[in-house]
Amino acid sequence: MRHDAAPDLTALQRALIGLLADGRAHSGSRLAAALGLSRSAIWKAIHQLEALGLTVHAVPGAGYRLDAPLELLDAEVIRRALTPAARPLAGEIRVHECIESTNAALLAAAREGAPRGTVCLAEMQTKGRGRLGRIWHSPFAGNIYLSVLWSFSDSSVLGGLSLAVGAVLIRALRAAGVAEAGLKWPNDILWNERKLGGVLVEVTGETHGRVAAVIGIGLNCHLTAREAEAIDQAVVDLHGILGERVPSRNQLVAALLAELLPMLACFEERGFGAHIGEWRRYHVFDGRRARLELDTTAIEGCIAGVSASGTLLLDCDDGVRREFASGDVRLRPVSA
Amino acid sequence: MDIRKVKKLIEMIEESKIAEIEIREGEESIRITRYTAPPPVVAAPPSPAAAAYAPTASLPPETVAAEAEPEFAHVVRSPMVGTFYRAPTPGAKAFVEVGQTVALGDTLCIIEAMKILNQIEADRAGVVAKVFVENGQPVEYNQPLFAID
Repeated sequence: MRHDAAPDLTALQRALIGLLADGRAHSGSRLAAALGLSRSAIWKAIHQLEALGLTVHAVPGAGYRLDAPLELLDAEVIRRALTPAARPLAGEIRVHECIESTNAALLAAAREGAPRGTVCLAEMQTKGRGRLGRIWHSPFAGNIYLSVLWSFSDSSVLGGLSLAVGAVLIRALRAAGVAEAGLKWPNDILWNERKLGGVLVEVTGETHGRVAAVIGIGLNCHLTAREAEAIDQAVVDLHGILGERVPSRNQLVAALLAELLPMLACFEERGFGAHIGEWRRYHVFDGRRARLELDTTAIEGCIAGVSASGTLLLDCDDGVRREFASGDVRLRPVSA
Repeated sequence: MDIRKVKKLIEMIEESKIAEIEIREGEESIRITRYTAPPPVVAAPPSPAAAAYAPTASLPPETVAAEAEPEFAHVVRSPMVGTFYRAPTPGAKAFVEVGQTVALGDTLCIIEAMKILNQIEADRAGVVAKVFVENGQPVEYNQPLFAID
C-alpha cells in the first residue's frame, strides 16, 4: 500500500552500471556499441547515473570510469555466506535497486503476512528514515541499507531490543576489522566519535497481541565527499577506516545477519539482560558530559551508562541521577 | 515484587470498587490508592524537563493507572514509557484528528523509546473524541492517549 513504489533502475542504467562496475575506464564508443546506442545517448545515461549519486569521471582519451569499483548486492551470495546458525533463520532476502525505505517496505510486507526472518536490502533509498523522519542519505550502491523482519509475542518483551541490536552489530564490525567501533546510547554506531551507522526499530501490531518488529540498519561503506558534507554531523565510512581491507558489501551483510538473526531468535527468551554486559563494554561515552535533547527541552549532565532496562542514566547537574527513555545525546567537548 | 503482579493488581483494583489496598509479602509491601477526586491544583506547573523523565521507580504510576475517564466509551492508553508523536515525521499530517473515524488496526500515533518507534493502533473502531497528549510530549505507562467513542 505504501512506500515501496520507488522506481527501479531502467534497463539501460542497469546495463551501464554492470559495464562500469569494475572501476576501469570504458570508452564511449565501446559502451555505445555494447548497448546498441548512440554516443550521445550514452552521455545522457551517464548523467542519469550521476543523479543516483554515482560519481562518473570522463577521462580524456580513455572514456568513462566510476569513482571506485562497485559491487552490487546479491541475495544468493549473501545467503551462501551466512553461518550455519543463521542460515535457517533467514527467510527470503529481497534486494531492491531503488526503494523509498527498506523499513517501510518490510512494515508493509509484514501487514501482508511476510514471515519473520524476511530480509530487505536496497542499493539506494529515496526516503531512508532515521529517527523521526530524519533523512538517512542514500547514494547508489555506496552503503548498506538492511532491514530484518521479526515477530514477538507482545510489545512488552521488546525493551532494550534496539540496544541489543547495536551490541551485536558492533560485535560483527569488530570481527570485520573495525576495532574501534563503539556505541552511543541507545544504538548509534560510532568510530572514534564519528557516526558510522545507525539503527531504527519500528514496531507494528496489536498492543496486546503478536507484534512485528522491523530492524533497520544503515551503515556507511563509501560516502563521497559531497554526501559527507550534506550530513549535519561528523561521519565516517568503512572505506575511510579500512582502506583496501574493506570487506565486500555482500560479505558484510552476511556477517551482520549472522549476528543479528540468532540474537533475534533468542531475544524474547533472554531479553536485554543477555546483552547488557556487551553493550556496556562497547559504550564509549561513560562519564562524559553531554546534553540530552528532548523534543521541547534539553538537560545537561554526565553520562552514567545504561540501566537494566536500557534507559540512559544521566547524572544531572542538580545532583540527581535520572533515567531517560528518549532523547538525543549530544556530547560536550572535553575540557582541556 | 514482580512488576507483572503489580500491573495485575492495578487492573483488578480498577475493575473493583476498592479505594485503597495494601499487600505485604515478606519484607516487601505495596499500597495502591485509587484517585477519587482530581489531584489538587499545584501553584507552579512542573517544569517540562521534569515531566520528561522516565519514572525512576520500577512501579507503574498508580495515579495514572487509576485515572478515570468515564465520559468516553473507550480510552486508548500508552503501553509504554516514551515520547508521543502524532505524525510519522515532523511536520507531516497527523495520523488522526478529533472527529475522524478510525477502523480497528488504524495507526493512531507513534511512541518512541530507545529508538524503537512503536505504532499504536486503534484497538476498536469508532470516532476519535479526544487526544489527551500534545505531540512530542513524554508519556507514562498506561497514560490515556486517545478517546474513541
